[in-house]
Amino acid sequence: MNPALILEHLLIVLLTVIATIVVGLPLGVLAYLSPSARRPIIWAVEILQTIPALALLGLIMVVAGAGKATVVAGLTLYSMLPVMHNTYLGLSEVSPAIKEAAVGMGMTSFHRLVNVELPIAFPVIFTGIRIATVTAIGVAVFANAVGGGGLGSMIARGIHTQNMRLILYGTLSLMVMAILFDSVMACIETRLHRHRRS
Amino acid sequence: MIRFEHVNKSYRNVTILNDLSFEINPGEFTVLVGPSGCGKTTTLKMINRLIEPDSGDIYVNDRNIRDTDRIELRRSIGYVIQQIGLFPNMTVAQNIAVVPKLLKYPKAAIDETVHTLLDMVNMPYDAFASKYPHQLSGGQQQRIGVLRALAASPPIILMDEPFGALDPMTRASLQDEVKNLQQQLNKTFVFVTHDMDEALDLADKIIFMDKGGIVQIDSPEDMLENPATNLIRSFMKKRLAGPDQPPSLVRDFMRTDIHKVSRNRGVRECIELMAHVDIDSLIVTNLDKTYAGTISIKDLKADGKTGVINTPEDGRPYRSSEPFIKTETPNVRLNYDAKACFDVLLESDSRYIVVLTPEDRVAGIVTNTSVAKALADAFWNN
Repeated sequence: MNPALILEHLLIVLLTVIATIVVGLPLGVLAYLSPSARRPIIWAVEILQTIPALALLGLIMVVAGAGKATVVAGLTLYSMLPVMHNTYLGLSEVSPAIKEAAVGMGMTSFHRLVNVELPIAFPVIFTGIRIATVTAIGVAVFANAVGGGGLGSMIARGIHTQNMRLILYGTLSLMVMAILFDSVMACIETRLHRHRRS
Repeated sequence: MIRFEHVNKSYRNVTILNDLSFEINPGEFTVLVGPSGCGKTTTLKMINRLIEPDSGDIYVNDRNIRDTDRIELRRSIGYVIQQIGLFPNMTVAQNIAVVPKLLKYPKAAIDETVHTLLDMVNMPYDAFASKYPHQLSGGQQQRIGVLRALAASPPIILMDEPFGALDPMTRASLQDEVKNLQQQLNKTFVFVTHDMDEALDLADKIIFMDKGGIVQIDSPEDMLENPATNLIRSFMKKRLAGPDQPPSLVRDFMRTDIHKVSRNRGVRECIELMAHVDIDSLIVTNLDKTYAGTISIKDLKADGKTGVINTPEDGRPYRSSEPFIKTETPNVRLNYDAKACFDVLLESDSRYIVVLTPEDRVAGIVTNTSVAKALADAFWNN
């Protein structure tokens, strides 16, 4: 058990999730607002998802060198799909009646987005964030390969030294972490849905 | 206040509005009514520029709305839609406050407006202001929808079938409330509906549309009195068949498919006729065709063999039906009031009433079936 490694792993995940939201959410909004940008955005993000995570990290490392930034950049690209996609989906699913009321009352498209559409879509977006978080927890294991540290390094050391205990510690920590995040966020999600029914 | 001048609109090759011109005066409650697809909703949505005309001009307060800022225009016009469209992420108070906030009214003023408005529809601030839309009934939600449109005190309110999705009871009370609000606040309402009753109840002026054009513009009274076309007449059928209609008469409901026999016919002949047409009683007439009475199979069967009068004219034994003719069956005249006639029927032991012409001839009968049919007609209005 090494708390430092767990914290390092969590830090990578946290940074990744923040970056995912910062990049993925606006892309989802853009896909929703601009029909011409929609296809290229969805297409590009889906293509990224098909690249093996390890390969993606390797490619970025070749360009940007090893380190935490490379890890976070790679993981972000990799976990962006659910956030982008759910943002687009959640906004599209806002009922036409609500949109019409908002337009008819004289809201600008910015007002509509910020005060009505995004808040209504938020539970769906949050689901995307939850999926991205759980994905990031698992994929962050590869951080070790490009010098990012985290629980991946514990597992890797276990494999190299044929130390079953190390491998199990690392894996179990990851599993507990993933389950914990997933269930807590699922709980929040349910509450969000309950409050924002139309 | 609102003026349409030669407005046209088509989608692809379908004409939605065809050279539409009309004017709505300040403080007037105007209802656009017509069959679906007549262009009434399109017309409404042009006033706040949700839909732009292909050609023609629309003036609001003598300003061509083509030259106004769309957002600004909409903030100065209240808008209520059928699907209500409250924002589910906002409380009742926040929903009502949307436009005042957009217009940057001071917070205290907004609070006061919300208080006053909720009071006007008897939804106490303390009980409702912090509720979310999904916690309200449909009727309460649409009340808030109406208040939201009124909040910034716009001179014009547009309503697109606002009560179409509500149950009849709730709709009736909301109609009353809206009419009261309009009179209290003296605002210009433009209201779209396909329900002529609603139009007649609410409107100061009805604009009846069909196929993208105006068929008639009139006050409800004038439209009821002089509907311009049969289509309008059919829309107002319910009202036209209302209390002003002359009372219905027996002649409208009686059955005329009856069987009569002359009083000199024998018992056997009567029984044969009844068996043949499958009925159990006959109307008996005198030789001069006037009404004599009725005769029923029950009496013939019970006593058919006793009342014997042998008149072997043609060699066959003959029994007159004369002794069996009953005169207890009630009779009424053709022009008798149908309702009174039904009362007679229901109170008597007889299963039917004979209807007589002024010359005492038999015109028909009224049975329980006639009553049922009359009730059904009244009930379903056809």
